[in-house]
This record gives sequence, C-alpha cells and structure tokens, in this order.
Amino acid sequence: MVSKSGLTRRSFLALSAAAVAGPAVLAGCGGGGGGGAGGGGSTEPIKFWNMPWGQTAFNPLDQKITEAYKPEAGLPAVTYQVIQWANFNQTFASAVASKTNPAVSSGGGTQVFQYEAQGGIAYVDELYAAWKANGLYDDFLPGLIDTLKVEKGYAAIPYNLDMRVIWVNKVLLDQAGGKVPTDWQSYLNAAEALKKNSVYGYGTGAGAGAYTGQHAIVCWMINNGGGLFDEQKQPNCVTPENIEAVNFVLEMVSKGYVDPASSTYTSANVQTQWKAKKFGLGYDTGGLADNIGGDVAKDIAVISPLTSPSGKKGSLYFPNNIMMYKNNPSIKGSEAFLTYYYQNMAPLWTQNTGIGLPPLKSIAKTKEFQANKDKVRIVEEWVPVARTWAAPGGQANFLNVTTVDATPAMNTFTQSILSGKTDAKSALTKLQADVKATMKS
Amino acid sequence: MSTSTAGQGLTRARTGVAVRGSGPPLAPRKTRRPGASPLTLGAFAAPALFLVLLINLYPVIYAGWQSLRDGSLIDAGDFVGLQNYADVLTDPTFWAAARFTVVFTLVGVFGSWFVGLALALLLKTRFPVKNTFKLLLLLPWVVPVVVSATAWNWLVATPQSPLPILAEALGLGNVLFLADPLLAKITVCVFKVWISFPFMMMMMAAALESVDNNVYEAAKVDGASKWNTLTNITLPMISRSTYISWILMTIFCVNDFPTIFLLTGGGPVNATQTLVVLSYVTVFQNFQTGPGVAIAFLMTLVLIVISVALYRQIKKVQIL
Repeated sequence: MVSKSGLTRRSFLALSAAAVAGPAVLAGCGGGGGGGAGGGGSTEPIKFWNMPWGQTAFNPLDQKITEAYKPEAGLPAVTYQVIQWANFNQTFASAVASKTNPAVSSGGGTQVFQYEAQGGIAYVDELYAAWKANGLYDDFLPGLIDTLKVEKGYAAIPYNLDMRVIWVNKVLLDQAGGKVPTDWQSYLNAAEALKKNSVYGYGTGAGAGAYTGQHAIVCWMINNGGGLFDEQKQPNCVTPENIEAVNFVLEMVSKGYVDPASSTYTSANVQTQWKAKKFGLGYDTGGLADNIGGDVAKDIAVISPLTSPSGKKGSLYFPNNIMMYKNNPSIKGSEAFLTYYYQNMAPLWTQNTGIGLPPLKSIAKTKEFQANKDKVRIVEEWVPVARTWAAPGGQANFLNVTTVDATPAMNTFTQSILSGKTDAKSALTKLQADVKATMKS
Repeated sequence: MSTSTAGQGLTRARTGVAVRGSGPPLAPRKTRRPGASPLTLGAFAAPALFLVLLINLYPVIYAGWQSLRDGSLIDAGDFVGLQNYADVLTDPTFWAAARFTVVFTLVGVFGSWFVGLALALLLKTRFPVKNTFKLLLLLPWVVPVVVSATAWNWLVATPQSPLPILAEALGLGNVLFLADPLLAKITVCVFKVWISFPFMMMMMAAALESVDNNVYEAAKVDGASKWNTLTNITLPMISRSTYISWILMTIFCVNDFPTIFLLTGGGPVNATQTLVVLSYVTVFQNFQTGPGVAIAFLMTLVLIVISVALYRQIKKVQIL
C-alpha cells in the first residue's frame, strides 16, 4: 500500500485501522475523480500537507520551516497541516474528490501513482529544470529522481528514503563465535552460530500491520537479481532468482534460524525480540536502532550488503516523496515554495527528528548526519544498490506496485513462507496469480 | 403440594398474569395529546428523519452503487453489474472468511452468554467485596479494544510472553498461540469471549432482577433442584432478554473488526480472517472498492436474516 521512513507509521496504520469496521466500509468508500486544472498566479495561500514522518519533534520543526517561507511578490503564502497516518488514504481521496486537496503534499510512498493515473498530479519537470540551474537537482542521491519518473514526466520529488538493511547484534554474534556475513553462505553460518545460543539469525515479523517481513523476502529476491515485475511492468514472480531466494528463506525456517512465531509478529513484537536479545541478525528498517533504543541499540549495527549466489548485491527501498496537485491555486507558487523547502529542510535530519534517510547529498554530508555510522553506511553502501518494487524490470515505480505494497497477497505469501508450510514455486505461483488478479489494467 | 405451584407461577407469568394478582392483564390505555395531529408529529419528526436519511441512507445507496462498479478509492470505475458479487461468491477466500465468521460469531455469542449468565447468577448471591468484583468484571468491556488487544498480544505473542512461558512450564512445549492457525483461531475466539462477557453479564443480571422471587420460593417449596430451577424457571423467564442479547452480540461479532485486525491481522495465512476484515483489506489495501463493498453488503444481508429470525423468536416468547 504505502511506504515510509520506519516502522512507526506502518504499526500506527494497523492500530488506527481499528477505527474502521463493517459499516464504515459500507459508508466510507469515497469515489470520484481527480482534481481540476492547475492554477497559475493566484495569491490564495497554498496548502502543504505533510505526514508525521518522524518522532514528536518532527512536525513542529517542519511547520516552523514551512511558516518561515516568505514568498516573492505576487506569489502566495503557504499554510501547513499535519495529516495523520490513520486512514490517510481516505483523507486524501475525499480531499481530491471534493477539490479541497492540498497544493503540495507528501503521503504514502506509492500514493502519487494512483493520483497520477487519474490525471490529478502536476508534473515537476519544469521545477527540475529550474533546479538544474541552481544546483539542487544535482544534490539528489544518484538514481533517486528517476524512481518517480512516469511516462508523462516526473510525478513527484524524492523526500525521504525508507531503507531495508541487514542489522547484526555484534555482541551476540561475538559471543556465538560467528562472523559478520558477507554472502548468503556466511549468513547461514552466522545464523547457525547464533542458534547455538538460542538466538534467531533471521529476525523478522509479518503479523498485524508488520510489513517488514514482506519486504525482507523481496530484499532477498532483489539481492539475487530478482524481483516482482518485469520490463513491461507485469508481475513476473516465478523466476529462478526468486525461487532461489525463497528457498534460501525456507532453508532458514527449516533449520530453526527463524522464530516460529514470526509470521504473526507485529513491529512491536519484532522490536521486543531485538531488545530481548532473541534476534541477532535480520532485515529491518534503517531506523531500527532508534526504534528499539536502550543498551541493545548500541550493540546493533548495519552490515554491508551481501553478495548473493548470482554475484549481485541489492535490497528494497521506498523513496517517499512530495507531490504537486493539478487542482492548485498556483503551480508557480507551489514550485517556489518547494524550492525554498528543499533548500531549507536540512534541520529535519541534522536535528535528528526521526525522519527516514535524506534524499540530498548535502544533508548526508553534514557533520551531524556523519556522526551516525549506521546511517552513513546505509547511504554509502545500501542506497547505491537498492531497488524499488519495480525491480528487476525497472527502477521507476508505477501504479501497479500498489498490488504488492503491504497488500493481502504479499501478506499471505510471506506468512506461508515463514510458517514453512509451502515450497518456493507454489508460494511464488500463488503470489503471481494474486497480484495479477488485483492489477489495474 | 407438588411442583404445580412453580408451574402455575410460570404459566401466569407466561400468560401475562401478575404473580401476585389475578385476572387478565390491563390493556395499555391509548392516549392522545390534544392537537397532536399526524401532520404535526410528522413535522416534528422530519428533521430527525432527514438527518437519518442523509447520514445513513445516502452512504448505503452510494456504497451499493459502488458495489456495482470496478472502481478504487479515487476512481468511480466502470459499471460491471453484479460481477463483483459473482466474483466474491466464487472466491475461496470469501468462503473461508465466511466459515470463520460463523465460528467466531457462534463462540462469541454463546461463549460470552454462558460466562455472562454464570457470573450474573453468581452476582445474585451474597459474598464479600461483591461490588468490587462486579466492577472488575466490567473492565474487559470498558477498556478500549486497542488496549485489550495490545495486552493480549503481550500475553501470548512471543515465546517470552507469560502464557507461552506458563505452557512450557506445564510441559506443553513452545505453544504458538498466534502463529499456529488452529491456536490462533482459538485465541481470537477466547479473546472475543473475554471482551464480550461483561456485556452479557449486565444483560443477564438485569433480566434476572426482573424475575419475581416468589417464583423461586414456590419452586423451593415444591422441592425443585437448582438445575431444575435454572432450566425450568430462570432460563425461560429471561429468554426474551437472552434473545435480544444474542441478536446484539451476533451483530457485534459479525461486525467486529478491531479484535481480529489488531491481534492477528487475519493471519496466519488468513486463518483468522473474518468477512469484515476481508472487506476492509479488499477496499483499503487492495483498493478494490467494488468487491470489498459487495462483501460488506453480503454480510449485512446475512445479519438481517439472522436478526429477523431471532426477533421472530422473541415475539413467540410472551414473558419478560
């Protein structure tokens, strides 16, 4: 469905979903079309809606940065609004349908592709042209901008990166006499060593609202040169690379490297297991250490990307983004604000508000950011090999990636693998069929 | 005297004869306020009626329209007639969810009724700290489900949780309360009973208060056993309240989204997925409003049938 900077949003989504029941499903499904034509030079304030991307300090600082914007003469001012993750899809859908949508917003990582398909998104190509002149364009991490390129142009601007990386508890691994893995075989060796001390070598969770378990399996596929979509943007799940990757996970399940209750672990359960020193190795978000805190946070570290049997490196990441809407009092005003915002948003990272990784090299180079060795490693080693849901066929996301992002099909697939009661080909074949069934033409 | 005293009391109660009196019950007197013409009454009711129509009827009609289209949350989609209903009814996932909904509802209704009735009967007796006990029993109902689900998750989710530790200490091994499909089903059903029994307890306690003590005294004089008193006097005399509570709890169970979604999310591998959870994930995770709303409508239809059947049963019962 969506992606974000850490576990918090996905966990919160699960909790907030509790507010919705059957009658709400009946009554709450808004329909309707996209926004109207884009505006030109109105002085009506433009609305910027942003999500709670970090901890409690994030939105107040973000609001401060936004409200410090002083528009040039003739351009509108900006108003700021926090949109909670609870039922955010409905919030945006009803706003767009009633033409009360913001001019600029962030949102779910794949949200922009839905509105773009409806003709409701203003492309940022002209903005990028201006940013090429002022150097902002070249400040983006390599390859990032193209993840949001669609047929008609650039649909949105990368905002923060939600990474999936491998964490190790160095203390537990040392105690077990294991070595930090560098490839799949050494990963199995490390997991075997940890098992002797009753520590799981593949810490993961795929329960209520926990989507990292799904992502982790796709990470193994991408690491092996696989993925879920081909060059024609069609699902292509049953490939030798994917089968090998799923077999690798199944091997870990059968050898007892995976907590048998993982298939129903919430994000909180996963963090509890890391804190309880029951997980010693595994894929998680780049913010795992921040999320678990305490002494164990000091014991864990991000390792370098593994080399798969195919000789490739890779992982899954989610370029969360900011988009402009066509139904907009002033496209020019929105572009001017975005230019200001991207030039002044660095404190969101340097003041450690908990937002995902920065999209700009200049922020990643600040001494505050460089102080966190794990985050530096992620930017330097993981981002360059990371791929989107579109892998292996492409790097730019598209509308139908919403069929695999936190969907029931992926959930069933992941839980069936983590329970060990399937084989790779059957699980991938079922996934292929389920994804096809939910695809939009 | 034989058990006829109790029997007569029951018969009187069933036929509407006051236990302490005799003769036919008084018919309620029809009264009419001066000037309260149908037009006036209609005018008073109109604003409320309008609001009800606006708030309830319009969304339901709109949702019905969506169930006939292949739209998403942001796109009305094309008209597809009854295709969504046909797709849903031929989908094995729907029937698996329907089966578990039936199990979940049956266990939820009768499990909570049984526990609630037992506790209501217990609360009729005198014992120390009865009021404190009563208050504590209400906690599962009073506490928000989000909190309860989090607490239960803490109790059972990981091998280090209290209940798995207890199970291991009892020699049952590593019990996966949520990860094993069968145990997950049992766990969510038990959780449902746990959060629902206080409601049943209150309903049954109120119903028990309405039973005239003379009937029990008569039964005692006749030498009726406790079991006979329960099955031949108590249960028949509270049957109307029982049916009402069953209707309400059936609706609560079928529509219960948070209990399952928060505890298991419908997993593992859809083992605990009910129709309302399936409807939610279809609309809000698969973005398929047509099939999702079709599921919700089918659920509503089944609920109406069950409610009407139980309501008819109530009408057969003459006593309160």
